[in-house]
Amino acid sequence: MSESTLGRPIPQINARAKVLGRAVYAGDVQLPGMLHGKVLRSPHPHARIVSIDASAALALPGVRVVVTGADSPVTPWGVHHKERYILAKGVVRFAGEEVLALAADTEDIARDAIDRIRVEYEVLPSQLDPEAALAGEGPFVHAGRTIAHEIAFSRGDVDSAFAGAFLVHEAEYATHAQYPGYLEPMASVARIDADGRLEVWTSTQSAFLARARLASALELPHSQVRVRQATTGGGFGAKIIEDANSLIAGLLALRSGRAVRLVNNRLEDFQAACSSVPERIRLRVGMDQDGRIVAKEVDIVAECGAYAGLAPEVMHVSAMRSDNMHRITNVRSRARMVYTHTPPHGAFRGFGGAQMLFALNVHLDEMAERLGLDPVLVHQRNAIGAGEVSVHGWKIGSTGLLDCIDQATAALQWTRKRASLPATGSRRRGVGLATAMHVSGNRTIGNWDGSTVAIRMNEDGRVLIQSGESDAGQGAMTMLAQIVAHELDIPLAHVHVALPDTDHSPWCIGSLASRVTIVAGNAAAVAARKVRDCLLDAAVHLFRAESADIELAGGTARLRADPARRATYPELVRAHVWRHGGEGIHVHGTWDADTVMPDDDLYGNISPAYSFAAQAVEVEVDVDTGRVSVIDSFVADDCGKAFNPTAVHGQSNGAAAQAIGWALYEHLQLDEGRQMNGNLADYTMPTADALPSLRSGIVESNDPIGPYGAKGASETAILPGAPAIANAIHHAIGVRVRELPITPERVLAALAAAAAQKAGKEIGHA
Amino acid sequence: MSQHEITLVVNGEAVTRTVSARRLLADFLRDDLHLTGTKRGCETGVCGACTVLREGAAVKSCLSLAVQSAGSTITTIEGLSDGVMLHPVQEAFMVCGGLQCGYCTPGFILSTVALLAQQPHPSETQIRHGLNGNLCRCTGYTQIVEAVEAAARKLHAD
Repeated sequence: MSESTLGRPIPQINARAKVLGRAVYAGDVQLPGMLHGKVLRSPHPHARIVSIDASAALALPGVRVVVTGADSPVTPWGVHHKERYILAKGVVRFAGEEVLALAADTEDIARDAIDRIRVEYEVLPSQLDPEAALAGEGPFVHAGRTIAHEIAFSRGDVDSAFAGAFLVHEAEYATHAQYPGYLEPMASVARIDADGRLEVWTSTQSAFLARARLASALELPHSQVRVRQATTGGGFGAKIIEDANSLIAGLLALRSGRAVRLVNNRLEDFQAACSSVPERIRLRVGMDQDGRIVAKEVDIVAECGAYAGLAPEVMHVSAMRSDNMHRITNVRSRARMVYTHTPPHGAFRGFGGAQMLFALNVHLDEMAERLGLDPVLVHQRNAIGAGEVSVHGWKIGSTGLLDCIDQATAALQWTRKRASLPATGSRRRGVGLATAMHVSGNRTIGNWDGSTVAIRMNEDGRVLIQSGESDAGQGAMTMLAQIVAHELDIPLAHVHVALPDTDHSPWCIGSLASRVTIVAGNAAAVAARKVRDCLLDAAVHLFRAESADIELAGGTARLRADPARRATYPELVRAHVWRHGGEGIHVHGTWDADTVMPDDDLYGNISPAYSFAAQAVEVEVDVDTGRVSVIDSFVADDCGKAFNPTAVHGQSNGAAAQAIGWALYEHLQLDEGRQMNGNLADYTMPTADALPSLRSGIVESNDPIGPYGAKGASETAILPGAPAIANAIHHAIGVRVRELPITPERVLAALAAAAAQKAGKEIGHA
Repeated sequence: MSQHEITLVVNGEAVTRTVSARRLLADFLRDDLHLTGTKRGCETGVCGACTVLREGAAVKSCLSLAVQSAGSTITTIEGLSDGVMLHPVQEAFMVCGGLQCGYCTPGFILSTVALLAQQPHPSETQIRHGLNGNLCRCTGYTQIVEAVEAAARKLHAD
C-alpha cells in the first residue's frame, strides 16, 4: 500500500523546481531570434491622440516593428463590456493606457526606441470623481454612458422590519483599491509557429480564457491560438482575464512574424494591472435586542475606472454575498458602478467580499457595543447553519463558522483581553474580531461550473494528469496529484501534472472563485476511478475472475482468494493496450456542480459549497503618532478538509498579510488621475519585519459535496483581516475608523474628532 | 554605449563576455548566461527577487551593473547546490512551505544563505530584519521564518 498524502503536510510537487531556480516563468522563455517588446503609455487621464511620430524610433537599428491603435485590430475586447482596444484608438481614457508597442532586437534598443516616439495629445477634461460621475454631469468616459453596471433587489419586508427593530444603525464606509502585488509582473512570450499559428507562453490564472481573449481581440480562430501557461508567480485575481500584456505580445508577434517577449516592469505593471474595486458603502442594519439582524439595507457606489472588465461582477458580490452568512430575511440592496478616467479596477482575491465585509463587520461590532453584547455573541447568533437555505437561495451544505470563531478567539485569549481595563499610556492595545464567507465555485460564469481532468497511465504504471486549471502558487497541481495518487494508491512521485496547454489540456475555466479544489478535485477523483476501472477490467481478463474478487492496491491487482495471482499496474496497462487495439489508458473525468443560475430576481444556489473564516487580531495603537501595529493575528479557515495543512496555513497566513497591507500600509495614490506611487518602495506591501508571526487554524467541516469534504481555501481568509483590525483599534482607543487604509493621519483625526465631541458634550452639560 | 570585456566567476565557472556599460547584472545573468533563476521583480532594488551572492554577500543584481562584477565571484540559485542534493536552505524552504508561487524564492534563499553566514543562530526578530530586503506576497512570511530557523538548525547543528 502507498500511504495516502491526503491530510498530511507535504511540499508542493513543484517546490523542488522552484527552490532550484528551474521553474520556467513566462519571462524566462527564450526563443531563437526573439525580439523584446516595449509599450508606450498615455501620460494623460483623458486625451485625444492627435498624431504619433515613430520615425526616429524606426530609424534606430534593431527596431523591427512599431504598432499603434491605428493599425491594430478593430475588435474591442473586455469581459461583458467590449469597450477596449489592444492599443488606444484615437483617445486615451486613463493615465497608463497603452498607446503604442514596438519590438526590437534587445530590450535596451526597445527602451531607447520608446524614448524617441513623439505623441501629440489634445488633453481633454477628465472625470475623476465617482460622485460627480454618478450625478451624470460629465465629462464622460464613454459617450453617453456613466453607469457601467447597476443592480437592485429587495427581499422580505425591509421597511416593516426596520420599523420594528430594537436598534437601527446607519453608517458609511470607504474602501480603497489594492494593487495585487504578485512578485512576478505580467509577462508573455508570443511567436508564430511553423504552421502559422500564434503560440503564447503567459503568466495567467486561466489558459483557456487567455486563448479566448487572444482569439477574439486578434481576430483569429481559437484553433489558430495556442496558450501555454508558464509557471505563474502569483495572480490574486489580476491574471484571470483583464490583462493586456498577452494581447500586445501576440499583436507584436503577428506584425513582426518573430518571437516577442513582453515583460511589464513594475511601474508598467502598476499601471496595467487591475487593482481592486474601491467602493463607498452606505449600510443600515436593524437588530433586535439580542443582536439578531432583522433588516439590512445596502447602497454601494463603486468605481471601475476607465474600462469595466470584471468590476461589475465584483460589485455584484459586494452587494449580495455577505447576506448569505446570516440568518436574515429582510434585505435591500442597490449598487451602482461608475466609469472614471482612472486606471481600471477589477478582480482581486476575495472578489468584492473584502469591501462589504469591512463595512459589515465594523457595523456589527458597533451595534454589539450599543447593545452591551460581546461581538462574539452577535456573530454566533446570526450565523447561518448547515442544511439551511440563505435569503438568496444558497444551500449551505457545511459551515464551520462557529468553530472558526471559537478557534480564533481562544487563540487570542479573547475573553481575558476584552475584559482588561483600557490603558492610559500612549501605546494602547485592543482585540477585534471579524467573520467571513466565500463561495467555492460559481455557476454564474457560464451556467455551468464543471471541470474536466484527463489522466494518462503510462506503460510504467505512472500517470500524467492533464488539466487546464491553473496553479499560480496556491497548490492546485499538488491537490490534483494528491487526489489521483490517493485514488490509484500509488506514490505521489509517480504522478506528474502537466502545465495547462490549450492544445493538450481539457477545456477549463481556470483558477477563480475558489473553484478548483472542489470542482477539479472532484473531476480528478472521477477520472482516477475510470483508470481503476480500466485496470480492473484488464485484471478480470488476465485472471479470468469477477471484478469483485480482485483488489487493486499498492500498484498491483491481486485475486483476493489467491493473492499469489497478481499483476502490476505496468502489466495491466500493457494488457489494456493489447486488448483495446492499441488504445492506451487515457481517460477524462468531468464533474459539474449541482448548482443553478440565479433567476431574474438574483435568487438561486450558485456554488456547490461555501467556505467560512473568522479572524481575531490584537493591535497596538500609539495615540501620539496614530501608528497601528498588529501584535497578533489568528485566522481560522473552514476549508472543509485540508488535503495539505502546509498549503492551507500558507494560504491563510498569506491572505492575512495581504489584508493587513490593505488595512494599514498599502495606498495607491492618484494625483489628477496619475499614479503617484506605482513602485514597491512607495507602495508599501508588508515586509517580514512589519508583521508579527501570523497564525492560522484549520476547521474541517467536511462538506458533503466537496471531494473528501474539501472546499476552497485562500480567498475566504483574506476577508476578515481589515475589519478585525478596525474593531481592535476601536477596542484599544475607543474610536471608529470607517475609511481604509487606516493611516496614522486618519487615526489621529478620529481621536481629535472624538476629543472635540467629548469636549463639546462637556460644554453642553456645563 | 561603450562596450567592455569582463571576466568573472559564475557558479564556479570562469566567464568572459563583452557587455555594454549599462548592462545590468540581472539582465547579464538572465539573458546572456541564461541563468533565469535570478528574477526581475521591481528593477529598483526593493523586492529582492534578483538577489545573488557576490563574494558571499547578498547583492541586488538589478541595482548593479555587470561591469561592476568584473573579477568577482557570483553565486546564483543555480549554483547553490549541485542540483541533486539540495542545499539545506533550499531543503528547508521546500519542506516548511516557505514558498508558494516561487518567484521570490531564489532571492529569499540566497538572502538567507548570506544571513546565516553572518548570524548562524538568528532570533525570529533578527530573521525578520535580516530578510526585510525581500518581498513575498504569498506566504505572509510565517513559513519563511520557520524555514530559516530549520535551515539554521541543520547548518549549525553543533
